[in-house]
Amino acid sequence: MGNNNLRRHLLVAALIALAFAVLPLFVTERYFLGEVIIFLIWSIVAANWNLLMGHAGVFSLAQMLFFATGAYGVAVATQFAGLSIWLAIPVAALAATLLALIIGAACLRLSGAYVALLTYAIAEMIHILIVTDTACFRQVGGSCLQLFGGARGFSRFEDFGFRPLLKADWILGNYYVVWAVFAFTIFALVVVIHGRLGLGFRAIRDNVGYAGSRGINRRKIQLIAFGISAFLTGLAGAVYAGHFRFAGPSLFEFSSLMFVLAMVIVGGLGSTWGPLIGAAAIMTVVEITKELGDARAIVLGLALILFVLFLPKGLAGSLERLQRATGLSRKPGPEASTSKDPA
Amino acid sequence: MSDSQPKAPSRRKFLKTMGISAGSTAMLAGLNQSASAQSSEPVKIGCPAPLTGIVAADGIEFRRGLEMAAEEINAVGGILGRPVELVFVDTESKGDDVVIQAAQRLIDRDKASALVLGYNLETGTALHDVAADSGIVAMHSNTVVAHDELVRSDPEKYWGIFQYDPPETFYGIGFLDFVKGLEDRGEFTRPNNKIAIITGPGTYSTNIANAIKDNADKYGLEVSLFESVNVPISEWGPTLAKVRADEPAIIAVTHFYAADQAQFMNQFMSQPTNSLVYMQYGASLAAFRDIAGVNSEGVIYATVIGALQDEIGSGFAEKYVGKFGDTSSPNGGGQTYQALHAYAVAAALAGGPGEPYEEDRNRMVADRLRNLIYRGPMGTMRINPDGQSAFCYPSQTNDPSLGMPHIFSQIQDKAVGGVLIAPSPYDVGAFKLPSWMKA
Repeated sequence: MGNNNLRRHLLVAALIALAFAVLPLFVTERYFLGEVIIFLIWSIVAANWNLLMGHAGVFSLAQMLFFATGAYGVAVATQFAGLSIWLAIPVAALAATLLALIIGAACLRLSGAYVALLTYAIAEMIHILIVTDTACFRQVGGSCLQLFGGARGFSRFEDFGFRPLLKADWILGNYYVVWAVFAFTIFALVVVIHGRLGLGFRAIRDNVGYAGSRGINRRKIQLIAFGISAFLTGLAGAVYAGHFRFAGPSLFEFSSLMFVLAMVIVGGLGSTWGPLIGAAAIMTVVEITKELGDARAIVLGLALILFVLFLPKGLAGSLERLQRATGLSRKPGPEASTSKDPA
Repeated sequence: MSDSQPKAPSRRKFLKTMGISAGSTAMLAGLNQSASAQSSEPVKIGCPAPLTGIVAADGIEFRRGLEMAAEEINAVGGILGRPVELVFVDTESKGDDVVIQAAQRLIDRDKASALVLGYNLETGTALHDVAADSGIVAMHSNTVVAHDELVRSDPEKYWGIFQYDPPETFYGIGFLDFVKGLEDRGEFTRPNNKIAIITGPGTYSTNIANAIKDNADKYGLEVSLFESVNVPISEWGPTLAKVRADEPAIIAVTHFYAADQAQFMNQFMSQPTNSLVYMQYGASLAAFRDIAGVNSEGVIYATVIGALQDEIGSGFAEKYVGKFGDTSSPNGGGQTYQALHAYAVAAALAGGPGEPYEEDRNRMVADRLRNLIYRGPMGTMRINPDGQSAFCYPSQTNDPSLGMPHIFSQIQDKAVGGVLIAPSPYDVGAFKLPSWMKA
C-alpha cells in the first residue's frame, strides 16, 4: 500500500507541476503571472510549514524567519559578497538550514507551546535587531546601507537576469525558475511524507512515548524535519528575493506569519496537498477583498476561526470526506489522518 | 547644484505674480477647448497607496488629493475631453514586493496610463522598473535621493519616472541653516551647544539624522544623544530619560510617523527640557495635532512638500478642509493633488496620454513634464533633468518661483495648524519661543 500511495501522490505532483508548466501558454498577462509566482512561493512555504507542524508535530513559529533568511541570504551574497545569484540561491537555502538546525537544537529540548513561544521569540528578536540597526555598513550613493538592510531592507540587487535576455517577456524566465523550485519541492515533500521519514515524523507526533520505545529519537527526527523544512523554505525565500529584487523585514512580520499560517490551517494541517489548496483559497480571498482595507484582516481571521472550529482538517479533509461520501475514495487517505499509519 | 544667483524679487511682487499665474485649471480648460475631443474613454490614473497600516493617515490623504484634483480636471473637460478615472490599490504600508505587485495590477488589470501617488514604505525605487517596463509615466513623492541616483544611472530606461518633490538630502543641512537663521536674527538663543537626534530606522529618517549629525559641528553643535528607536513607538520613556539626563538645546526627531511624534510630545510635556523641538514631516499632519492636542503647540516641523499659506496654498487648504473635514490634512493631500494637475496639463500639452505599453505617446507626456514649471499649492514643481526630482528652494535655487520650497512651520495654535515661518517669501508669521522654554 505504501508504494501505491507514494506512486499516487507522485502522479498528482507530476500533474500539478505539468499544469503550472503549461500555464504561460494560455496566460501571458504580467500581473497574473506575478500572482501565480507568489502563489507558487507561498505554497512552498505553507507546504513546508505543514511538514514541520502537521507531520512532525513541531509547533514552530520560525517558518517566516527561514523564508527571510533565504531572501536575505541572496541579498547579502549578491550585494556584499558579489556572488552570482545562481550560486547565492543554494548558499542562502543552506544558511536557512544551518539557522534552523541551531534554533532546532535549542528549542527541541522543549515541546508543544514552549517550542512555539521560543521560536517566535527568536524570530522577533532577529526582526527587531534588523529594523533598529541604523549603523552605516556601506554607503550606497547618498544613502546608508546597514549590514542587514535595516528597516528598509535590500533592493535592486542582482536578479535572474532575464530582462536583457527575454526583453518584455522577462517574467517568463522568473516564472520558470520559481516553477522549478516549486516542482522540486512538491516531489521532495511527497517522497518525504509518504516515505519512511514521514512515517517516523508522524510516529513522534502521534505518540512520542511509543515511538521512543520503538527506537525513534524524537530530537533527531524532529531536527531532520526542521532542516528539510528550512532548506526548502529558504529556497523559496531565495527565489522570492530574486524575483522581486527585494529582501526586507516585512517578510517576517507577524502579519506575514499569520497569512501563511492561515493557508496551512484552511488547507488542512497534516495533509499532503492541503497547503496548496489553502494557498489558493487564501490568495483568492485576499484578491477579492482587496477593496476592503483593514476589514480584509478580519475576513482572514474569521476564516481561520471558522476552519479551526468547524473544519479542523481544512479543505483537504472536507474534499476527502466528500470523495468518500460520493464513493470516489474507498478508504481514508493517509495524509488526512492524524493518528493512523499512512502506509 | 545651485543655479546662478539671481536677484530675489520683492515679496509683494513675487506673490502677486504667482497669484496671477496660478490658473492651471484654466490653462487645462483652454487646451481642452482648443482641441477636439479625442474620445470619451476615461484616462485611468493608478495610485498604489498605503491605505491601511502604519502610514494609512498619509495614504488616505493621497487618495483625497487625487479625488479632488480629478473632480476639478473633469469639471473642465478632463484631458482633451477624456475624463480622469482613478484606481487605487492598497499597499498596506508594506515594502517593495507589495508595491511592485500593486503597480503591476494597476497597469495590467486597470490599464492605468500613469501612476500618480504619494509615498510608500518601500526602498524608494520599487515601482521604477514596473513603470519603465510598461512604458508609462509614474510620479511619486518618496523623497529619496535613491530615486535621483537610479534615474541618473540609466536615464534612457527611467525616462518616465518623476519624483515631484526634492530628495531628503536637503533636510539635514536645511534644518541647521534654519536654526542658524533664528539665532542670527536673535529669535532664539541656545541654552547650550547640545543637540539630541532621535531617528527611526528607515532610510529617509536615517539619512536626515546622519546629515544633521555629520554637520552639527560646523554649526557649533555637539551631538549629545543619537538614538535609534524601533517603530511604531508609543512608549518614549527610555528615550526621554536620556534626553532629561543631559538636557540638549535642540531635539531633532527625524522619525516621521505622526502618531509616534504626538506621543513623544505628550510624554515630553510631562517634564519638558529647555529644548527647541523639531519634528520631521509628521507634525505637519492633522493627525499629529489631534493626538497631541495642546502639547503640539511650540513644535517646529519641516517638509519639502507642504501646502503654502499664500493665496494659492490657502485657497486650496480651505477648499480641501471644507470638502474632507477638519481632521483632513492639506499637507498630505496637496501632494497628489498638485501632481495630478501637473500630469493633466502635461498630458494635454502632449496631445493626450497613451495606454500602458504605448511608449512613444507616453514619452511625449514625460517630455512635457520634464519641461513644465508648474505652480500649485505646494509651490513650484520644476523637474531637475539630472535625476528627475523637483528642484529645492532655497537649497538648489534662490529663485522661489523655480523650486519647491523647503518650508519650516511652527504650531502656535493646535486648532489652526502650523504657521509658516520660513523661508521668505512664503513666511506668514514669526517664530515664537515655545511655552516650555525659558526666555
